[in-house]
Amino acid sequence: MDITILGSQIIGIIPLGDIVFYFTQFNLFMFATALAFTAIVAISKTETQVEAEFGKLGDRAVTVAKKEFKIRRFLAIICGLATAGAMITGDLFDFTLFVCLTGIVNIGIVGAVRQVDVLDAAYQYGLIAMMASLPLFGGAALILAATGTLSLLEINSLTYTTPMMILGSILLFLGVAGETGVAPFFATKAEMFRTPGSPFLLIIHLSSLLILVRLIEILLMINKPF
Amino acid sequence: MILVPDVVSPIVVGLYAPAIIVGILVGLIGLFGISVEKNDLHVLILTDIVGIGMLIFVAAVGTDLAESLILPGLVVELAEILAISEILMSREMRKSGKTVELLPTPLHYNLEILQTAPVFLAIILIAYGAFLSGFTGGAIAGAGILFYVMSIKVRGVPSGVWEGLAGVSGMAWCLWLVGFLVLFVFPQYWLLGLMLAAFGVFIKVVFKVGIIGVMNREEFKKE
Repeated sequence: MDITILGSQIIGIIPLGDIVFYFTQFNLFMFATALAFTAIVAISKTETQVEAEFGKLGDRAVTVAKKEFKIRRFLAIICGLATAGAMITGDLFDFTLFVCLTGIVNIGIVGAVRQVDVLDAAYQYGLIAMMASLPLFGGAALILAATGTLSLLEINSLTYTTPMMILGSILLFLGVAGETGVAPFFATKAEMFRTPGSPFLLIIHLSSLLILVRLIEILLMINKPF
Repeated sequence: MILVPDVVSPIVVGLYAPAIIVGILVGLIGLFGISVEKNDLHVLILTDIVGIGMLIFVAAVGTDLAESLILPGLVVELAEILAISEILMSREMRKSGKTVELLPTPLHYNLEILQTAPVFLAIILIAYGAFLSGFTGGAIAGAGILFYVMSIKVRGVPSGVWEGLAGVSGMAWCLWLVGFLVLFVFPQYWLLGLMLAAFGVFIKVVFKVGIIGVMNREEFKKE
């Protein structure tokens, strides 16, 4: 295998028909990070949270029922798996679908809190995610129309960049920003991370960070500024 | 830089730019409506218009790859609108303190055909659906089963049958998935994969509509 992507050699590919997953040192690291965090989410027992008491040396344990966080933990695991998939996929449309899955799951995580204010935040985030699906899929479709392929390995070997590809990349960036990039703001607005028993919701931050880094890699592959 | 082969007529190629412009216009109209509108439900419906702009973008490419990309786009769109409307409903329930069922009223049928000709029509629909196979056939045969369930309910329901149907539906779905895996992993056995997928989805869609019958009966118990 003699393909170079952004200076790093391809370690291997997983061919599944026309959907090809590929590994380089860069995205293999991000894939492993996402999977490791997902494994921690899956096995950790976060029901009991120990808080230090102010002014004294004692500790206070806050325990919540396991049932309360069952759905949210499940959604967090799905979110981690979708992020891991988006890291190694070699198909542009596959990437947008993984991003959309992350977005929908994030809506579910935020919307699982039964308070009016939180549901308000989840509703607004859902609207933004839905509007962002226009530039997301539209950008991928423009790149398909401009290059004739969705495979990142093929796009990587092209020698030219047309204005249509640049427009598609800008739309793709807007789409990912709206779909998962804004998720941490809405989750923080709802003060979700401070509720006892739910530190695993930090997967929202991790997924949005990893997907943005991966998106920048994809944009560099499409536009080749160097 | 044009990638289109010569066999495609220039009219079709020329349609691409107008289609993209229409997509952008649809998106902008939807966004303008959202910025003006204050009612939450109306905003949700207007957001769907933006989603339709996305479908125009994908469809404008016009190859069979684009055709296969429209389906996931549509599914994502539907999933998001379902999730958001569920959130909106639960927020309104919390605000007003009342709860609402998904199917608010038990259905009342008063049709003569349910008494006289149910079995015959159901058999015709199921046979025709089995002949078609695949998704379309599943929908038609499922309509037959649903019709049978509706009519049988008028005369009293045999319980315990439809739970079994739900289980078979789940197993048929697994068949469908296995068929797809075969297509991806062992492309040389494509015929086996195709048949597994076609008949898996046929059985699944048939019994899915049967499950609607289960839900219906539970509604009846409440009455």
